[in-house]
Amino acid sequence: MSAPLLSVTGAVKHFGGVQALRGVDFDLKAGEIHALLGENGAGKSTLMNLLSGVHAPDEGEIRIDGNKVTFSNPREAQAAGIATIFQELDLVPSLDVAANLFLGRELMRPGGLLDVPAMRREARKRLEAIELAIDPARLVADLSIGQRQVVAIVKALSYASRVLIMDEPTAALTVGEVERLFDIMRKLAATGVGIVYISHRLEEVPEIADRVTVMRDGRVAGVTEPHAPQAELVRLLVGRPLDELYPQRSKSAGKTLLSLKHASFKLASQSAGWQAPDDISLEVRQGEIVGLAGIMGAGRTELLSALYGTGLAGRWQGEVAVDGRPVKLHSIHAARKAGIAFVTDDRRGSGLMLRMAVGLNLVMSVIRRISPAGLMSPRRQAEAVKQSFGQFDIRPKNPDISVGALSGGNQQKVVLAKEILGNPRLLLLDEPTRGVDVGAKGEIYARLRALAAQGLGILVASSEMPELIGLCDRIVVLRQGRNVAEFLGGVDEHTVLAAANGREA
Amino acid sequence: MSGEKIEVAANPVVPSAPKRRVDPLAIVVRFQSLIGLVLVAIGGVIFSPRRHGEILFLNPDNIANIVRAVSETGIIAIGMTFVIITAGIDLSVGAVLGLSSVVTASMMISGGFGLIPTILAVLVMGIVFGVVQGTISTRFRLEPFIVTLAGLQAARGLALIVSGNQYINISYGDGPGLAPPVFAVLGERLFDNTVPVATIVFIIFAAIATIVLNTTRFGRYVYAVGGNERAARISGVPVSMVKISVYAITGFASALAGIVHAGQFNFGSANDGMGYELTAIAAVVIGGTSLFGGAGSMVGTVAGTIMLGALANILQLNNITPATQLLATAAIIVLAAVLQSLVRRREGLGR
Repeated sequence: MSAPLLSVTGAVKHFGGVQALRGVDFDLKAGEIHALLGENGAGKSTLMNLLSGVHAPDEGEIRIDGNKVTFSNPREAQAAGIATIFQELDLVPSLDVAANLFLGRELMRPGGLLDVPAMRREARKRLEAIELAIDPARLVADLSIGQRQVVAIVKALSYASRVLIMDEPTAALTVGEVERLFDIMRKLAATGVGIVYISHRLEEVPEIADRVTVMRDGRVAGVTEPHAPQAELVRLLVGRPLDELYPQRSKSAGKTLLSLKHASFKLASQSAGWQAPDDISLEVRQGEIVGLAGIMGAGRTELLSALYGTGLAGRWQGEVAVDGRPVKLHSIHAARKAGIAFVTDDRRGSGLMLRMAVGLNLVMSVIRRISPAGLMSPRRQAEAVKQSFGQFDIRPKNPDISVGALSGGNQQKVVLAKEILGNPRLLLLDEPTRGVDVGAKGEIYARLRALAAQGLGILVASSEMPELIGLCDRIVVLRQGRNVAEFLGGVDEHTVLAAANGREA
Repeated sequence: MSGEKIEVAANPVVPSAPKRRVDPLAIVVRFQSLIGLVLVAIGGVIFSPRRHGEILFLNPDNIANIVRAVSETGIIAIGMTFVIITAGIDLSVGAVLGLSSVVTASMMISGGFGLIPTILAVLVMGIVFGVVQGTISTRFRLEPFIVTLAGLQAARGLALIVSGNQYINISYGDGPGLAPPVFAVLGERLFDNTVPVATIVFIIFAAIATIVLNTTRFGRYVYAVGGNERAARISGVPVSMVKISVYAITGFASALAGIVHAGQFNFGSANDGMGYELTAIAAVVIGGTSLFGGAGSMVGTVAGTIMLGALANILQLNNITPATQLLATAAIIVLAAVLQSLVRRREGLGR
């Protein structure tokens, strides 16, 4: 049997006192699409960084075609044929497609002038090779995220053609774009390129992967078939059965807090890729955790942001009521007045002031309350901060360090605690555990359940199906901006997925 | 790529963050302008020319000169600190100073207005100027750099129109065409002829600004808007109002500096205050305020302002050419910026 295209044996990597990889074996065959799954912090990114030459392993070795290689920088990995596409695509939005494809490797005319026509011609040829009709003269800024992803792939393949490593390439894509990307990946694999596909979206695995490696706590938890049952994958990912992660459901729900009846959000101006809520009917009652399920682009985030007034400009039609009274939710101010709080899915981008201290972040939504007569009251601020630290086990227990220095899980606790300080009656959560390690997930679930028990209503959107099923009392499934099905918590994952995809279970 | 950092941070067992608190470099940056001021002062004493054994740098007249010379740019830098903490910039300040000096002089001399109405009118004019700039910037989502660059041109143009491109001399006395003699106090010194009045204005304004920035709700909002505008908006902070307000503050500060300018030099001139915006920005940056917004201190700005003045003074005392002075200033600005960048990178928050 010939040596695999790429293999890693016994890889160990420390960062300071933290062991990110504890002896990892991994291999990739030519023409194979190999899915690499793992929770955040499991070591996927570290492994990827070893393969792409960003870091060198402390122990263990990397082989290509059975020959040992060492990379001291990404350029050497590229020279060995390994191309990596990171989540933040390294494209320059203000340049056109051809300029991006040839960035740093420009074709020149004699005399030191750029040969733009030649680059455009060559770019067109390469794009057509994967049957993608993008005008090379278009600005990257004008392309959809899916198109950018493909441009990044073409660019990566232009300088390294044997191994393609893709870090969560579908994270920001619409359903149609994901399909097209998968087509392109299959075509590439058919030409003998080995593809490492990093993801935490279990539902995509059977569709695209030939083999699956699951990582947990810096080790390989298992290598399985892509058609292994989801429960098996989840057990490998989480390391314990699902039910221990989630708290007991509450028994009773109170009166209706939020009620939407045939509610649609009419945009002031049309916007592609923003799935406005369309003819939605749903309820959230006191003490209840209601989940929003749906595939990418189904309009989960859009519903939450339209309710909170942070989405695109527009207005609600149909019946939108809080506490049985019709309300106009058209601005953040209106939503907050109605007792609604919102935690974004993007805590670093729009949830936190990363460079500012934890304490300052915590009181951000209650500044008015802790500044009587416009003067900040250090005493009230300290009380509020103490309350937050008491409710959420934020570590380290120090409100003076900058919040950017905290782990993802603790940052998420700060964002949640911040909104809870405002005593909301209805909490809108978008991907409340994205980028959060499993331990902190369990704490957050327990906290949310306890808050619900005190009468808070929670509407939570998540792309992690097990989370919705384990945490929520009810799950509302959205498709193309409208509610298409509703299930009780604990429902079978396939049933929800089928409804989300518009198929019979 | 930040993947590796997330991996490290994601381990909840080893909270290593508290160690960062005592990062000596962070402390140096926090007090960099104060440290710089002390260093410059020590250098001033060492390198000062002496006459009959007296250190000229420490001569009370010399020190009064330093703090008087920096008071106008200092007042502007204080306003600028608010703007820069919100991650904005105001290039119009020097031009508004010129405009304000002209309006102050012409209102009193040719307009026949009294002292109080003149001062109030000029301050209101400065505020309005800032509000207009802030409103245009937020309403049309324009970069403050562009809006205030236009504001600079507009203010100079207005100043030339009002003055007819002439110096407007201020003569004192009672009656039409003369300014109230009390206005001349801005060019004098109080307390046994030691402390310049212009400096007193600077200090009082700095004290008020420090209190506003550090202890009021508005001050917290200013930090929040610069720290993360979207997060601030989602938290219910009135972001546009805050942004407009900080430009109103720079407008007010520039007008105040313009009044002080007219009082110190007894004339209004449309072309005065040129380049003050850059001196003020330099003082703010040396003071440790980040051009990225969200971080900064008023004390730092004051120290940075005085440090620049003291540096210029010691170089002048040693008959060092203005060209060399500019080079020294350049080196200090770069040094301050590099220090800040190092700290940002250590905190893993490089941008």
